Amino acid sequence: MMQLLTQFILALFATLSFSVIFRVPLNKIPACVIIGALGWVTYVVTFDYLDSPVIGCFAGACTVGLLSSISARVFKEAATVFVIPGILCLVPGFRIYRTMEALLLHNYEDTAEIGVETLLMAGAIAIGLLVMGVVVGLLRIVYRKGRGILT
Amino acid sequence: MEEKRQQKRILVLAVRAGEIMMKAGAEIYRVEDTITRICKSCGINYVDVFAMPTGIFITMDKGFEEDDTYTYICRIKSSSTDLNKISRVNEFSRQFATTDMTVEEGMKILDEIEQEKTYPLPVRIVCASLAAACFSVLFGGNAMDFAITFLIGAVCYAFSRFLTHAEVNFFIHGLCCCALAAFIALIAAASIDGTHYAMIIAGCLMLFVPGVAITNSIRDFLSGDMVSGLGRMAEAFLTAVSLAAGAGIVLKLWALIGGIVL
Repeated sequence: MMQLLTQFILALFATLSFSVIFRVPLNKIPACVIIGALGWVTYVVTFDYLDSPVIGCFAGACTVGLLSSISARVFKEAATVFVIPGILCLVPGFRIYRTMEALLLHNYEDTAEIGVETLLMAGAIAIGLLVMGVVVGLLRIVYRKGRGILT
Repeated sequence: MEEKRQQKRILVLAVRAGEIMMKAGAEIYRVEDTITRICKSCGINYVDVFAMPTGIFITMDKGFEEDDTYTYICRIKSSSTDLNKISRVNEFSRQFATTDMTVEEGMKILDEIEQEKTYPLPVRIVCASLAAACFSVLFGGNAMDFAITFLIGAVCYAFSRFLTHAEVNFFIHGLCCCALAAFIALIAAASIDGTHYAMIIAGCLMLFVPGVAITNSIRDFLSGDMVSGLGRMAEAFLTAVSLAAGAGIVLKLWALIGGIVL
């Protein structure tokens, strides 16, 4: 639990820094930071329970995608503003490094394994965002229809 | 005559708004939507926009027999992510469409948005090094790694700004930045006990990973802009390769001179 809190705080600061670099509007920074940190925590927890970084990335990306769409509604802002800093923590930078290291060691088995995992993680981020985009779109239609029937 | 001039002004305004957004790193769908919205609000019935990360094509016509068709092709060269600009142009287009703002006033606001400066460089450098340091600990480093990555992150980010200023190709850019990070990290790890060069290099690498390209390519695919989606996907992949290559070359050379055992 303590470790999770540390991870949350570190991810918080990492997202904060990227928000400043990408110049997120000042009053949206708190929301961005929390979205990014929650995305990372989701990744860590899912990774721990299911022992699969790919599914972890998928879950993290789903969290970021969903929360960003909600924030975009609430703040009347482009969803990109929340997604871009939020997703950065999930990009598998360490695995890119490990793939390269394995390649240098002429350990082609590891290279293939970690490399494929890296690609799958990037794919999982993509699919997480895609799924959430579609789900939010559907929810919006359902919500509008529901309101139309009621009124 | 006056009407034709007005139509041209609207065209320039719409393209300008799109150009600012695209340069700031917006998705295709948002750029096309903004341009269409601005034109429609000025009573132009027929507008078609085709936007790509490298250019915007726009054609408009009022739709009457005596009207001309206007076309504008806008080439976009450089781009750097600036979410505040996207947010402000987005807000502007809504405002422009709902209130009766004149084209001249709109142009003035767009000028203002385009002139906006990013945060001062020292602030960005501190933030970049903080991000790199946080990532090195997230990847399993200790407090010593945090401190060293903080310093290396600052150097690397400053170097990357310099390369951007010199308009270096993006592949070489990533390669050089990561090579520098790996070089300093290896020296630091060799001279200070209890540090892990792997975590330090990976932390600095996170500063240059193509997160924006991945996100935008997905959003482009989602809205059906296949060409842009593929282009940005390729950009993301090549950037990742350049980062790995930069760090890899330095690691290999270091191992050759006997610094580390690979």
